[in-house]
Amino acid sequence: MTDVAVAGNRTAWRERLRVGAPAARRAPDVRRALQLALAATWLLDGVLQYQGAMYVKGFSDMLGGTAAGNPGWIATPITWNANLVQHNLGLLNTTFATIQLLLGIGIAFRPTIRPALAASVAWSLGVWWFGEGLGGVISGSASPLNGAPGAVIIYALIAVLLWPSDRSASAPFVAARAVGPRVARALWAALWLSLAYFALTPASRAPGAVSGMISGMTDGEPRWLHSLMNGAASLVAGEDLVTSIVLAVALVVIAAGVYLPAPLAKSTLVLAIVVAAVIWVFAEAFGGILAGGATDPNSGLLLALLALCYWPLRAAPLAPDPANMDPVTEGTVA
Amino acid sequence: MPPAWLTDIFAALMLVVAAVSAARLAAARPWQPGAVIPDTDIAHLLMGIAMAGMLASSLTTLPNAAWEVIFALLTVWFAYRVARDARASGIRALASGHCAPHLVHSAAMLYMFLAVKTAASGSMAGMSGSAGSAMQALAYPTLAFIFALILIGYTAWDLDQLPGFRPGLAAMVAPSHQLAVAASVAGTGDAGISTTRTPPASSAGTGPEVADGASGHSGAAVLLSPGTTVGCRIAMGVTMALMLFLMI
Repeated sequence: MTDVAVAGNRTAWRERLRVGAPAARRAPDVRRALQLALAATWLLDGVLQYQGAMYVKGFSDMLGGTAAGNPGWIATPITWNANLVQHNLGLLNTTFATIQLLLGIGIAFRPTIRPALAASVAWSLGVWWFGEGLGGVISGSASPLNGAPGAVIIYALIAVLLWPSDRSASAPFVAARAVGPRVARALWAALWLSLAYFALTPASRAPGAVSGMISGMTDGEPRWLHSLMNGAASLVAGEDLVTSIVLAVALVVIAAGVYLPAPLAKSTLVLAIVVAAVIWVFAEAFGGILAGGATDPNSGLLLALLALCYWPLRAAPLAPDPANMDPVTEGTVA
Repeated sequence: MPPAWLTDIFAALMLVVAAVSAARLAAARPWQPGAVIPDTDIAHLLMGIAMAGMLASSLTTLPNAAWEVIFALLTVWFAYRVARDARASGIRALASGHCAPHLVHSAAMLYMFLAVKTAASGSMAGMSGSAGSAMQALAYPTLAFIFALILIGYTAWDLDQLPGFRPGLAAMVAPSHQLAVAASVAGTGDAGISTTRTPPASSAGTGPEVADGASGHSGAAVLLSPGTTVGCRIAMGVTMALMLFLMI
């Protein structure tokens, strides 16, 4: 094929696209940007999993520890998995890390986004059970401050919401594009209402529970974060019940926010991002990454990413599916 | 510490990146008059060697002080390039320009060498060359975390852009002036190899000759394709983020 032919074909193709969807080509593709953020989080997960702390017995002990308080049918597979990991630590942990790295690569690489997103959902569900003990949801130890309902299940939820298909032509927010506004809102409400419930369970509202959770995360953190967290723990010390109630109210408001008109919805989404940031910094210490040995960034970061999936969109024609776009000929995404 | 075989695998990967970059540099024929030296390949070559030395305790490279000087120079150079890009295209230079990721890579390398030296307080010989010293703790771990997040962000961005370069297909059949255009997006850029080989506009369209020539050197075309540069950058970004977390 000659240069002229190549150039001519490309020009004709560009012209066809220009005529077919003039506004769409200019519209920033928010969904692709969020997919990349999800991919980056999986990459982060994979890299963290290669840390030295995952290659010692403490890692399998941590996995086995999530069985505590769960019914037998949940706990038994967790214990079996922990034993398996303990006896094949190097091989299995490297496999886990590599899988997570490949999930991130697959989501970021446009031709493989669909299988990678599907695999990430399956992987997340497996890790939620075998690695996180269902996030303590059944054992009663779950709290919004310690990562409930399990960071990894939020990965799966975001993957479903960012699936590259368009069920709703006039989606009010990105999360509605794949599953429709009704289902997307129901998923949001279910998640945040469950967090509100977990904030009020006896384990979360007991005297010293909130301050204990915060101060329990300070070991090994840099001085500035240690001070911040100690300050937060001191602030809520003795006020654990009040703190839990205030947090639960905020979480209920956030849950209801997606049913409100766009301006109010934006306000509640900002509140969601602020709450997620407060949880991530003050209660989760960035997932403990700075102390070394963290397996993931925990739930705060993912809750904020989820909130961005619900940010109201301006009424504009949908952008073409980025998974099928050529970044060189079509320009860059949002 | 992770098992030595794991860090050795990543060290080998970095040596492959260094070898690819060296081959690209050789293909650019920098000794010829008028040749343009691709700064990104020089950076990849040096970083690949330095990172392999940090990961594999059995590998001896340059003294730390030499690496500090090298990465300080690279950081200044890419900072200058980013500033120049920013003057031309504003803040978009940080997202779409190829110099910004290289600036972060160079600065992260400089930080790793400086911070580990500070942490060791002179009690250790350095990162390269001495067994067991490959993964020392870093001072200012928050900075390591920030660097790692940015590196991972750029890696995701690069992966997103990668299909557009189609190194296995387009690079083999596309005429060199198209590679030059893609190179300016990918990172061989205005200082890239392809620029030196761009035929005059009047010669574009002579198709069969160019296509035949390109297919006759398909291996070289793949090597020189912008996708190869981006692939190297992806491998380097992931490995560098890993090293930062290992040293926190």
